[in-house]
Amino acid sequence: MNAETIFHVDHLDLFYGDKQALKQIKMDIKRNKITALIGPSGCGKSTFLRCLNRMNDLVDGCKVSGTIELDGNDIHSTQMNVVDLRTKVGMVFQKANPFPMSIYDNIAYGPRCQGIKSKKILDEIVEQSLTKAALWEEVKDRLQESAFGLSGGQQQRLCIARAIAMEPEVILMDEPTSALDPISTSKIEEMAMELKKDYTIIIVTHNMQQAARVSDETAFFLMGEMVEFDETKKIFQQPSDKRTEDYITGRFG
Amino acid sequence: MKSFVRDVISTEKNEKKLRKDKRMRACFFTAALLSSSAIAVIVIFISMKGITPFLQEGVDFFSFLFGTTWRKDQGIYGVGFIIVNTLVSSFGALLLSFPLSVLTALFITKIAPKKLSAMMTTVIELLASIPSVVYGVFASGTITLLVSTLAAQFGLVTAGGSSLLAVILLLAIMIFPTITSLSITAIRAVDKDVELGSLALGATRTQTNFKVVLTSAKSGIFAGAILGLGRAFGEATAVAMVAGNKMFGPTFNLFDTTRTLTTTMLSGLKETTGLDYDIRFSAGLVLMAVILLSNLILNLVKKKVGNMK
Repeated sequence: MNAETIFHVDHLDLFYGDKQALKQIKMDIKRNKITALIGPSGCGKSTFLRCLNRMNDLVDGCKVSGTIELDGNDIHSTQMNVVDLRTKVGMVFQKANPFPMSIYDNIAYGPRCQGIKSKKILDEIVEQSLTKAALWEEVKDRLQESAFGLSGGQQQRLCIARAIAMEPEVILMDEPTSALDPISTSKIEEMAMELKKDYTIIIVTHNMQQAARVSDETAFFLMGEMVEFDETKKIFQQPSDKRTEDYITGRFG
Repeated sequence: MKSFVRDVISTEKNEKKLRKDKRMRACFFTAALLSSSAIAVIVIFISMKGITPFLQEGVDFFSFLFGTTWRKDQGIYGVGFIIVNTLVSSFGALLLSFPLSVLTALFITKIAPKKLSAMMTTVIELLASIPSVVYGVFASGTITLLVSTLAAQFGLVTAGGSSLLAVILLLAIMIFPTITSLSITAIRAVDKDVELGSLALGATRTQTNFKVVLTSAKSGIFAGAILGLGRAFGEATAVAMVAGNKMFGPTFNLFDTTRTLTTTMLSGLKETTGLDYDIRFSAGLVLMAVILLSNLILNLVKKKVGNMK
């Protein structure tokens, strides 16, 4: 494994009860890149994403086997505790899910859970995170207002800011723009391209143009298998697998 | 293509249905009017009866409201100490029951395995449906015993266990299922995504439950608290069985007997006439005002908790 790799995944199998949702996934995800996961509904891409911060632990009857290493450390080993892992690997969900609190408290939530109490430090975290998520200018005068007063796109950027506040290494995004209008979508895409300087981003998307626009590498999933994983340009221009070609040209899925 | 639906659709029938909509709306309105007018009638009746002692029977309103003695044998009716007693016993019960209920609701919804959770939910619902008089005999048989034993430990003597503490314990038990079952419903309704969002930020289960789940559910939980408090304020039968009906006060000593607005209204209602009868309506009026004010206060508290500004 070289220094470029942040996630090393090998022989990853995942079962929901008796149903196998992921089959022998092998992937090396590169640091400070945007990796897109594409594929038809139910292909396992979201499931795979949730393996990376062990959100699947929360699903009853879900069994994972194989290796997932973050910076060379097995995330399933007893040395790695799940809280540490999730502070390092943040997540943004399909539907914006702000907490029923003020904008400020939404951002301060994660740091507070880690025991940061100083108002001064929290103030700085909030400003910095919102700035990185390109939301600061829009909300700086209403930080104490409820996060529910924000528009859908703003809420999603708030959720990204909330993840950034933890200073993670990786941000997982599970179809973050599927419920947003094109303007909000492009704002988040621009932000993602900016954020990759500091973070590794792994994004699940149904929108092939989005994958082509923002990502450096793309993995194509089909029925629990990872069919192809390569540079985005290569995937979209000269896919080596027939199934990838069929999917990206819209012949199925 | 063969048409199945088009042929069946008739404008005439649909117009009929629209007219039915209008009739149904009148039905709903009548139902709502009937039920809300019942409340209005009660309020008006109680109010009219309640003010007669002051207008016609020469009771001084001020000494009624702030009085510290209630003796029908001497014709002294002061409700002030009874208001305080009612507040002390009801909020005392809420103070005991609220945290216990919320923690139980969290356990049932988030921690207990499915079977246990279903079983406990049934138990809570059963508890809520036990008639208050049954709670009353239970309390007069066991809680009073507990209280008098406890008092003996401190070298105190109680009136056979009838006491403020017995009332508080009884009410706490009685309102527990109300608050718990409403909290369970509220917690179950919390968006799973919000919970996952918290866990994904590296918050622990406990942090998530207390900071996010409860905050999200607080509206329903407070509705439970308000209903529970209403039950505590309004409970007469069971309370009368363990309160002891003290004639003066207020009572702050947990082992002393007490008297609440409801027990005052209830005791001897059927064997009395004249002022002693009418004044109970005044007490009822006061009780309604107390409940209204308490609900307002709880609603204010609700706005303050949970970081929501």
